[in-house]
Amino acid sequence: MSELNRVVIPIGPQHPSLKEPGCFTVTLEGEKIVDAVVGIGYNHRGIEKACESRNYTQVVYLLERICGICSHTHTTAFCQGVEELAGVEIPKRAAYIRVLVAEIERLHSHLLWLGVAAHEIGFDTMFMYTWRDREAVLDILAEIGGNRVNYAINTIGGVRRDIDDSLKQDILKMTDALEEQVKYYRELALTETTLAARLAGIGKLSREDALKYGAVGPVIRASGVDFDIRTVDPYAVYGEIPFKVITDTHADIFGRTVVRVLELLESIEIVRFCIKNMPDGDIVAKVPRRIPAGEVISRTEAPRGEDIHYIRSNGTEIPDRVRVRAPSEANWHAMRHMLLGQYLADVPITIAAIDPCFSCTDRAVVVKSGRETEFMDWAQLRQYSIEWYKKKGIDVTSIKMPERRRYF
Amino acid sequence: MSNEEAIIQRLVEKFDILKDRLHFQRSKRIFSDFLTREEFETVLPYVRDEMGFNRASHVVGTDEGEDLGFIYLLTNDDGVILALKEKAPKSNPKIKALTGDYPSLEFHERELVGLFGAEVEGLPAGPPYPLPDGWPEGNYPLRKEWNPEYFDNRTMSYNPPVEAEEKEAEQSE
Repeated sequence: MSELNRVVIPIGPQHPSLKEPGCFTVTLEGEKIVDAVVGIGYNHRGIEKACESRNYTQVVYLLERICGICSHTHTTAFCQGVEELAGVEIPKRAAYIRVLVAEIERLHSHLLWLGVAAHEIGFDTMFMYTWRDREAVLDILAEIGGNRVNYAINTIGGVRRDIDDSLKQDILKMTDALEEQVKYYRELALTETTLAARLAGIGKLSREDALKYGAVGPVIRASGVDFDIRTVDPYAVYGEIPFKVITDTHADIFGRTVVRVLELLESIEIVRFCIKNMPDGDIVAKVPRRIPAGEVISRTEAPRGEDIHYIRSNGTEIPDRVRVRAPSEANWHAMRHMLLGQYLADVPITIAAIDPCFSCTDRAVVVKSGRETEFMDWAQLRQYSIEWYKKKGIDVTSIKMPERRRYF
Repeated sequence: MSNEEAIIQRLVEKFDILKDRLHFQRSKRIFSDFLTREEFETVLPYVRDEMGFNRASHVVGTDEGEDLGFIYLLTNDDGVILALKEKAPKSNPKIKALTGDYPSLEFHERELVGLFGAEVEGLPAGPPYPLPDGWPEGNYPLRKEWNPEYFDNRTMSYNPPVEAEEKEAEQSE
């Protein structure tokens, strides 16, 4: 086919497979992709610049809002970096709580991905199953931190909230119920032929290419590389927790699905281990407001992969430079390579398979005119949306909803 | 001797210029002092091809006053991060693109161009990242002298207050 027959299609920034903006310009020959350009940056909010004018404690809250899905991992990376600069060791109980929340966060993030991926391939039953199960995990996170996302557990020197015995029991009940479901998903992922037929051989990324393009997280582990910061560079108390790094050699979206489903089971075991072995004691250590001058590189394993924070202090209360290399930022580089040679119909699932995260949760603030800002709380936001729909002629309050069922 | 100390020793033996300029901060972390472009380009091929630092996680841009700093986070198979630093004056902020050797740096190098105003020689053409279309030229938000308070995001223009002396000069004209 000659070059004259090539068609260039910009997909995005309003994107069919994601609720976040990204532009993928694909060049097609017939249905096949022969070139692809990834355009991102639509959600750049200048968080790093903002960090340079706020003190360390304020920065924690800012970084919590980088991502609504894995907010805890960013604050963990930042807090442990600052603690390293300050030479502070956090209490062991705090380290256990950090790991516990991190793994519950991984559960909710992987379940979310499983639902999105199922939706992209038209398997909406699985989408609804996984998101129903994810509700139980979000309920637990809300119980721990008071919010479904941005649970604000971390603070510099430890954690802000303790976990009592009744909460421990709730968490264990949730993991028991969830384990049963995840085992079902494991069976589904490994034996359901339609799933394998749709996902196998799509979004190929060989081991060599995964290393070359710097892929991280489940993407690189599905290409057969056992790279997981929890074992490569253990932080918090991961060094004393027994768990298996899940890898797979399919090197395609099928492999990425298997890795994430099996990681769910590992995370459940880590949660149980934390509950069982959490020592008594304080949950926060004292850290000076002024952080000694120096620089540090802090790494965590986010649900999407390696999260790197570079922090430099100039000896004051305000950081001199904070740089966050979030995992999705690393996985974009392999995207063009994964798209080449694919069919157009495989674009949504291929993009969704790296579990991309641009950023989110900018919904609770309404900017009025000019520089004046008005904040809305949940009740006001809910009321606002009801009124908005009423103006369109839809009265959502007249719809009778069944009472929500708790799954634990 | 730890793995990290062995890496430092091997590099210092190979390159005199690195003597006392590599620091073993803690397990899995080695930091270098800032190197000039020439020094950096002398050391890098050996670090990449002979020392096994075949993955680049990131390049962090920094503002060093008169200079721009570039901190390359290179990783080997053991997960050791070597933070190799390069410096270039703001008046002539030219560095060589490493995207050819480390494709994982492409977006990060574009970011150095957009946010710091670095000239990355050899960076393949592509959409700017991460600033929006229509961003005014010559505005590099992560340089320390750039103050977000003077930026008007409705008109996309940067309007720093005119210094008193400049005002007087304008009036006298």
